[in-house]
Amino acid sequence: MNNKRPLAIPPDPARRQATLGLLLACSLLIFAQSVLANTPTIRLFPTTVVEDLKQTGNVARDMETGLQEVIGRLDQQQQLYVESKCDGAENDPGCQRLARQIGATYLEMLTIMEERLPDMEHTVNNTRISLERGLRNELGKKMTPWQLQETLVGKTAASAPAQASPTLRGRSGMRLSERFRQYYQLVATSGSQSDQSLAVLASDIYLDMEETSVLIERTRQEIARATLMEQLNQSFGIITPEMMEVVGGVKTILFGDEDARALVAGPPPGSVEQAYRSPLEQ
Amino acid sequence: MITQNLISPVKILGMIAALMTIAACASTEPGCPSPQTRNLDSAIGFVKTSLNTGCESHFDRYYDDLLTIAEGDPKPENKRIFSEFLLWSGDQGLLSTRQAQEYYNRFFNVKFMSMKGDYNNCSHTCPNKQRMLFDMERELSDKERGLLKVSEDRDGYYRADRLYQEVELVLEATCTACAASR
Repeated sequence: MNNKRPLAIPPDPARRQATLGLLLACSLLIFAQSVLANTPTIRLFPTTVVEDLKQTGNVARDMETGLQEVIGRLDQQQQLYVESKCDGAENDPGCQRLARQIGATYLEMLTIMEERLPDMEHTVNNTRISLERGLRNELGKKMTPWQLQETLVGKTAASAPAQASPTLRGRSGMRLSERFRQYYQLVATSGSQSDQSLAVLASDIYLDMEETSVLIERTRQEIARATLMEQLNQSFGIITPEMMEVVGGVKTILFGDEDARALVAGPPPGSVEQAYRSPLEQ
Repeated sequence: MITQNLISPVKILGMIAALMTIAACASTEPGCPSPQTRNLDSAIGFVKTSLNTGCESHFDRYYDDLLTIAEGDPKPENKRIFSEFLLWSGDQGLLSTRQAQEYYNRFFNVKFMSMKGDYNNCSHTCPNKQRMLFDMERELSDKERGLLKVSEDRDGYYRADRLYQEVELVLEATCTACAASR
């Protein structure tokens, strides 16, 4: 018979300290996690916005592809018209034939746009409405101006040097599909961005969607009118200056205008010395 | 009767003149000249003495004088010197804490005091957006003085400048979104 009592583990001060340390570390970790979880984050980009941007980019790309060939042809016909010295010789039968060809290509362009624009309008409006709701609720109703400012400045306003952030304004020199592709990429990776850049990004895209939406609506109205006018002109073989303007406008919107590309000057490099924080600072 | 009537206006004029002289004597303040030195520490010493000897109503002018003197010798340390001067002014009862914060942050902080407000942006900021942006623009020129010309804090000033542009953009979008719900 073995009457020996099971061996009690003698109290080990080192082990006890280690256990206590582990417990303390765990509770600190849990506390830190709960603090992080409670940190307010603004929800400006629901998944629908990301999908809408992707969709708009695809629709824009399809429209560009469809129009590129027609616009190229239109350019060649215009060049031929000028080289044939048809300006001022509108009654010449050859020039009239050329003018009719140009008119027909112009109508083709309008038809393609008419077909593609409703899809574009739909996706742009969806994006705009989603962003509008987010901006109104998150920045408009939930925040005071001071809170908005703190969101924009971030937590490191006084100590961190100004970072070079990409600026989105001045997009006119960019293809429409490229613009949306960039938006999509920025928004799709928005999880890694801070609230401050999200607010600026959402505002920028929203304002652009507003402008685009108005532009599409106007363009659709104009297309209906221009189509009717050109159908009438076809019988006479006339090239109107308005026609050339519309073609120029479409090219600028779709393929960008290199001259209009806005350059944003960055600030000169600042000094590194930044140590003092006043107790009066807010 | 006629003589009495002629004299009385003269008497009245004399009395007015006498009263004006007495009033002028009563309201005479000690001379509150601006500091003549170009050394910021000495100037602050001079201003403190003046403020403690009846010139407290000239606080704004003195603050401006000190900023001008500091512009002559810009350095990051000036932020601390101004902060300490404002804290001293608070301790002396010349300024409330809120006033001291306003004086400091308007010139030496990136954030805009013009964006103080207790109500949400849709209801309060948007209807007054233009005025707020105008106030911010004026504050930005004070920050140019405090951050750039006095403290040589280029990063701080350019961050404030960018903040102003970001606020302008974000407010434009937010206020358009707020208005769209109406």
